[in-house]
Amino acid sequence: MIGQTAIGVLLVVICALLEGVGQVFLKKSVLGAVRWYLWISFGVAILLLETMIYSEALLFLDVGAAYAISSLNLISVTFMSRYLLREKVTRIRWIGVCLIFVGVSLVAARA
Amino acid sequence: MSIKKNFPIRLAAGLLLAILIDTALQLVWKSAVLSLPNDGSPWLNVQAVLHSPLFLFVIFLMACQFFNWLMVLSNADLSYAQPVTSLSYVSVFCLSVLYLKEATDLIQIAGIALVLAGIWFISQTQHVTQSREREK
Repeated sequence: MIGQTAIGVLLVVICALLEGVGQVFLKKSVLGAVRWYLWISFGVAILLLETMIYSEALLFLDVGAAYAISSLNLISVTFMSRYLLREKVTRIRWIGVCLIFVGVSLVAARA
Repeated sequence: MSIKKNFPIRLAAGLLLAILIDTALQLVWKSAVLSLPNDGSPWLNVQAVLHSPLFLFVIFLMACQFFNWLMVLSNADLSYAQPVTSLSYVSVFCLSVLYLKEATDLIQIAGIALVLAGIWFISQTQHVTQSREREK
């Protein structure tokens, strides 16, 4: 039982990482990249893969728990925006992201 | 901390639309899933999905969300736009309580307050990184 939960958590964490990469690809497509259509295509493909893995994760976890863990998406996206897209993520923005992360986790965990 | 000037109306409209579409998507999707026949046959479920106006509406909303999101991203940082759209958690929560009569408790209300506080903090930052700052 613990093993199944661990697999579910691992799958949702992988989804959070894929969400970050997929969103970075979509952002790249609108930044004036030369082959913007490739960025969009790969971005959509990664987000579809994420959806499939998330569906698989729901076989191992309750929806509420999966939804709560998937709020890690916010942290993943912000981290990748900072280091892959070189966006200026100030301390204030990090505080905001962390508050939203905790808030969404609380709402989702009780759903 | 200072409230930004020159906040583009197009971005504000795009973010508002993203939140509205996401809210509608969550509620319609849930209604669509609940309308499926509960006979346990995957093939009949696929057929029901393809013939269900609610599911077709879900796909339409997803397409609208995608194109609107690209427009939002072309006007704002990803690290700004994505957390702001978490406002849809608040709207879905409120509508679920008001219209679907779902139960709530103090922990969830505290969570909603934290989400709102977080969005306020994010709204105090610049919505877009200038290219010269990006190169640092």
